[in-house]
Amino acid sequence: MRNSQPESPVSSISERLSGADPRASITQLFESMRPDLLRFAHWLARDRSLAEDIVQESLLRAWRSRDTLKDRGAARAWLLTIVRREHARLYERKRLELVSLDEALETQAPAKAADPEGDLFTLRNAIMKLPIEYREPLLLQVLGGFSTEEIARELALSSTAVLTRLFRARNKLRAFCGMSPAPDVSTSEAAP
Amino acid sequence: MSCEQARLQIGADPSGSAPELEQHLQDCESCRQFRTEMRTLDANIRRALERPPASAVTPRFTATWRPWALAASVLLATLAVLAVWLLHPSDTLAREVVAHVQEEPESWLARQNVDAQSIDSALRGAGVKLDITSDRISYAQSCWFRDHYVPHLVVQTAQGPVTVMILRNQHVSTRRTFREDGMSGVIVPAPQGSIAVLTRGGANIDAVSAQMQQDVRWLPNAH
Repeated sequence: MRNSQPESPVSSISERLSGADPRASITQLFESMRPDLLRFAHWLARDRSLAEDIVQESLLRAWRSRDTLKDRGAARAWLLTIVRREHARLYERKRLELVSLDEALETQAPAKAADPEGDLFTLRNAIMKLPIEYREPLLLQVLGGFSTEEIARELALSSTAVLTRLFRARNKLRAFCGMSPAPDVSTSEAAP
Repeated sequence: MSCEQARLQIGADPSGSAPELEQHLQDCESCRQFRTEMRTLDANIRRALERPPASAVTPRFTATWRPWALAASVLLATLAVLAVWLLHPSDTLAREVVAHVQEEPESWLARQNVDAQSIDSALRGAGVKLDITSDRISYAQSCWFRDHYVPHLVVQTAQGPVTVMILRNQHVSTRRTFREDGMSGVIVPAPQGSIAVLTRGGANIDAVSAQMQQDVRWLPNAH
């Protein structure tokens, strides 16, 4: 059982701002995206507590640099980018020693037996097992709606490298799902 | 365009389309088949990613601290379980419900309506149906709770959001109210288990629980 959640930066900020303050609307904007950010961070970090820490820190960073967000229509992509970078920073900073994923997933075997959507359970496990270099572009594309070029910019890769990683990610998932994988492609992953 | 190039494009973005690719597909049956399969797989990937994963990876302490941390964790867990059972044995279910809701803080923030398919998906695992319109439900997940999948819903009311957990297999003999960590709630008996209703504000949980007792249909032969 966990303790109460710390107060979110968004709600703290909301309380500090009066209703008449035009900046209040940006806190509402951030707040409305919190579930999406948490889901994205959770798939990246594969751990709920870490994901919450990442989103908390990301929202603080976003609030501090809110003036750089010129187009509110681009807020979602902007926030997802901050979350991705915060995730990368966290792993670089803490150098976490991780439990073997196979070992951890084995402990969840009872859940699989009871899952009414067995295929999706298999697929979720397969996505979890994807190495970060494949999982990250896939999440940016599917959850974030980023184009190949945008992913390439964010990950400092060439577009060809991103295409290759996305292909390999799905090809691995094909194999996990019992389909025959396509022959691998031979491409360079040089940065642009 | 070669088959390898076509499959690279399809695998990277199964829903994408380009004139060169379409031209290749016109003459290549196996690549057409590959795209069909990848589009099906991609739809499933999107469905799989709709829900957060079960947490499987956790940070470890260093080797030096691990035995102490493990011992301390076991001791604390034992004391916590003893305290719960000795001091408030009848409140265990309520506490676990509160703890579960605390672990999904984003559920309170959701404001957009959940579509009927997602609601049905959240309910299906517990073998229940709900006879209310979906335009009041802003959160619907099938959550692992006490060895069963249970629907975790947030219903928008005029007084604010209310969390509802439909607890098949968790039987209570009478209606119980509770208040903990800024939440107040009620667990009411139901034909095949119980229903928990919680609020963080002043929403009328009695009205919602009564409505749920009336609207939840318990399907036979569910686990």
